[in-house]
Amino acid sequence: MDFIWGLVQILGVHTIIGLSAYVILLTGQVSMAQAGFCAIGAYIAGMLTVLAEWHIIPGMLVGGLAAGALACVVGFPALRVKGLMFTVATLAFGEFVRLFWFNFDYQISRGGFEIGPLGGEGFRQIRFFPENGWSTLEVAIFVWVWVILIMAILWWMDRSRIGAVLRAVGEDELAAQSVGINLTAVKVTAFTIGGFIAGLGGGIYAHYTTHVEHLNFGVLLATFAIAYPILGGLRTVVGTLLAVLFIQGVLVEGLRFLGDLRNILFGAFIVLAMNLRPAGFIDARVTRALGRLFRAERGGA
Amino acid sequence: MEIEIFGWTLLDYFQTIVDGVLYGATYAIIGIGFTLIFGVMDKLNLAYAATALAGAYFSWGVGTQIPLPAPVAYVISSIAAGGFGYLVYLCNFRYIPSGAPLASLLATVGMLLFLEELIVHSTQGMPQPYPALFDDVMLEWGDFGMRGDLLFVFCLCVLATVFLLYVLYRTKLGMATRAVAQQPVAAQLCGMSVQGTNSTTFVIAGAIGGIAGAMIGASVGILSPLLTVPVTVKGLIAAVIGGLGSIPGAIVGGLLIGAFENTFQLLRSVTERDMYVMLLLFAFLAFRPGGIFGTASRHE
Amino acid sequence: MKKQTLSLLSAVAVAALLGTGATPAAAERTAKIAGFGAKSGVVRSFGVNTEAVMQAAVEHINSQGGVKLGDGSMAMLEMSFDDDRCNAEEGISVLRKIASSDALVAVGPTCSNVAEPLFGILQRSVDDAGDSGLRIPIFTDTAIKGGLAKISEWAFRNVPNETEMYRTLFLWVKENYPDLQTVYGGVEEDFAHSRFTWYNVMDTRAQEAGFEVVGFSKWLLADTNFTQQVREMKKAKPDFVALSSHPFTLCGILKEMNRQRVRPKLMIGLTSSSSMETLQGCSKAAEGIIIPSSFAPVTDAAKMVAKLADEKGGSADLHSAAAWEIVEVIAQVMESEGVMATEDSVQEDRRKIRDGLAKLETTNGLIGTIMREGDGEATKPYLYVHAQDGEWAVLHDPGAS
Repeated sequence: MDFIWGLVQILGVHTIIGLSAYVILLTGQVSMAQAGFCAIGAYIAGMLTVLAEWHIIPGMLVGGLAAGALACVVGFPALRVKGLMFTVATLAFGEFVRLFWFNFDYQISRGGFEIGPLGGEGFRQIRFFPENGWSTLEVAIFVWVWVILIMAILWWMDRSRIGAVLRAVGEDELAAQSVGINLTAVKVTAFTIGGFIAGLGGGIYAHYTTHVEHLNFGVLLATFAIAYPILGGLRTVVGTLLAVLFIQGVLVEGLRFLGDLRNILFGAFIVLAMNLRPAGFIDARVTRALGRLFRAERGGA
Repeated sequence: MEIEIFGWTLLDYFQTIVDGVLYGATYAIIGIGFTLIFGVMDKLNLAYAATALAGAYFSWGVGTQIPLPAPVAYVISSIAAGGFGYLVYLCNFRYIPSGAPLASLLATVGMLLFLEELIVHSTQGMPQPYPALFDDVMLEWGDFGMRGDLLFVFCLCVLATVFLLYVLYRTKLGMATRAVAQQPVAAQLCGMSVQGTNSTTFVIAGAIGGIAGAMIGASVGILSPLLTVPVTVKGLIAAVIGGLGSIPGAIVGGLLIGAFENTFQLLRSVTERDMYVMLLLFAFLAFRPGGIFGTASRHE
Repeated sequence: MKKQTLSLLSAVAVAALLGTGATPAAAERTAKIAGFGAKSGVVRSFGVNTEAVMQAAVEHINSQGGVKLGDGSMAMLEMSFDDDRCNAEEGISVLRKIASSDALVAVGPTCSNVAEPLFGILQRSVDDAGDSGLRIPIFTDTAIKGGLAKISEWAFRNVPNETEMYRTLFLWVKENYPDLQTVYGGVEEDFAHSRFTWYNVMDTRAQEAGFEVVGFSKWLLADTNFTQQVREMKKAKPDFVALSSHPFTLCGILKEMNRQRVRPKLMIGLTSSSSMETLQGCSKAAEGIIIPSSFAPVTDAAKMVAKLADEKGGSADLHSAAAWEIVEVIAQVMESEGVMATEDSVQEDRRKIRDGLAKLETTNGLIGTIMREGDGEATKPYLYVHAQDGEWAVLHDPGAS
């Protein structure tokens, strides 16, 4: 069972990271900076629980807020550009953040051990969970409380005026502008929320792996962050969760019986999935069908 | 008397920048590939650098069976990469609707991972020697030196670019490509095949990439799957700095990156090198989104 | 289209469940050990080699009757091997899977960046009931970055002690090359192992041996252009160089040294570079480089392992050969501690194996006796090898003198 709960943790953390990119994707922008924001959340939350001996929840929140604040500040210059230029600009920024941590040393001595981040050698012994006796199941529940909280807020947002505004910007900027929407404000807000969520995800990441180093937050993680919502579809937050299940649950863990073929086919399956579902797993047709199903049931009852 | 700035002489700077520019030629040629495909399809092919290296690996594989002189290996690399380019087109662009650019983008990422892992499994991930030309030539004037093989790589990249520009601006095929890029509907109405032009572009871009892949292998002397992601990132940056869609822009972009990263390394050490390159890129994009030649407004 | 995808997905899911859930029916008693490491990505060769050597070791022990259990009956060893892609999260997932199975001990991982988080999720000290970390012994063959096993009392390593190796190597150089005074270093800065080994091992040990370190250059794991670093090296005019770098960049730097005609009187390399990869990549440029290594086919046992690994499609090097020793030690501890290998005794057996491993003071190694240190680390016998005509040849055996 321990294995299952461990996997559930991974699914949860990756869903959070995917959702952080989802918010930004709603406004039509592809951000490759999410791994960078994760790194900020991870290192700050880790330093707070290890060096300052805080509880993990305030640690994560401070890490998330720091990432969000930085996203807000960076958002203004970055969002002057759109489309691919924005993607590459955020890629550059994310790599900058990663390399910042690569050059960052801050260690203190406690009990004969040097603890704290140490540049290229990473930041070890972020052991809040085991030290406080949290079982794998408890950690999994903790992760999923965050996932459900974030999903619920985004779900509600999607259905409120805010969601409509975000999507309006994503679908047609000119039209959105002509009805009086302030494009910059909307995009920077989405980018800030995305940064905050990624920071939270990073905070958990640091604690459930107990060790972080800059290489964890490279281009690959940034790519996965945007891959989840794109693969899942941008109609609903559930799509991102489905995509995480597909990639982490099926492609990574589920296909182990294939042996060496597993990793060769990993990329091929992504190519195949995009060919079969270019608008993601949950596209407009699926949501319409689901909508009809729910209405029919309600009508029948 | 020697003038020193930040502890380095002018000769040091000159040497550093020349080294960087020479090596930047490989970034430039990968940048051209990105820009070419983007110019025609308005889409990004992130598997591009992977196909380039796959071409080089293919020629290495042929070389293990029959001994090949270096130039022949380069030609084989180019042909193979052209083939891989077509494969990428089929798998990631042909059947994915053009209204779903994100789907194509992500599919090319999948393709990149697929190609990389294929390479890993055919070589166990071990670095493999790749033939180089003028490997042991070092041109020297006093304290100033220039690598013969990099100079060769640089010249070959320039030749490839000239050839490409010739194809684009002096042949019928190039005409069609540019027509499809600028006015796809009109081009179709004139009886041009958009699909055909697109796939030809992928093959040409792939073949150019194959030369770049071979040149990267030759200048390093070794092929390793470690190269894929850094080359992708650097090539993409070159294309973007140059203003996506502009071939001269990609060339200048690639050479500039080479020069800048080497200068930062001289001044701030290798660990901070890429940090400053990224920061510079970010600032550049935020304040000059149109690229060096400032014509990318169409591709926002 | 949608239906097709769904059915494809469910087929895959069902297959996955079957694949993970199926256990071979055991007709006789078996004791399970679980190997894991990277079999994907650029470090694939590590996992391939470890798996091959482990398999050879398991078959070797089984062919001699297996392991004697606590109740006197004999059990066959059974092994599995999982790929962790050199990724921390996946490594953790694999270890949890192993911990949830009836495997008694885990052997791996290959990557230091996986070992570090893995050891972190283990219980730190065995008697701390408040620590909810995993409780399964891990015995590491490849991940070599210094000082990791002290993270947890469940972690053991059979990797060479680089501090000791380079200490004696530099002293040996001092003695045999009395005209050498200055050394120049090189470090692959963004890889945990090579970085640790330069700053904490090579640099300090060289100075202790009386050499003057006249500077060092840094480069990154995926760097391809070394003109500047070699120019710095050339300016420093060192008598010899010490390069803490993995094969890919080691080859790059050596080739560049050739080009700029930097010819130090001696070259010293990183333990991990004494593998096939370096020879494959640049045997000509690497000619003469001296590396301390904990494995070379010099004894009959070592020759046999090299041959068996080859038959299994891997190669025995300083990393993977350790897996052979590990499997032998585990079998020995299983017998001495009276492991039961029944369904109900898994947790007890794991503790027995851990305690047995912790108790050991020496173990048998392929090229000599291995000292077990108190913190779960080992001090292994080693040789100085050098690249000669495209092969690693033994240059000197410090244990023999």
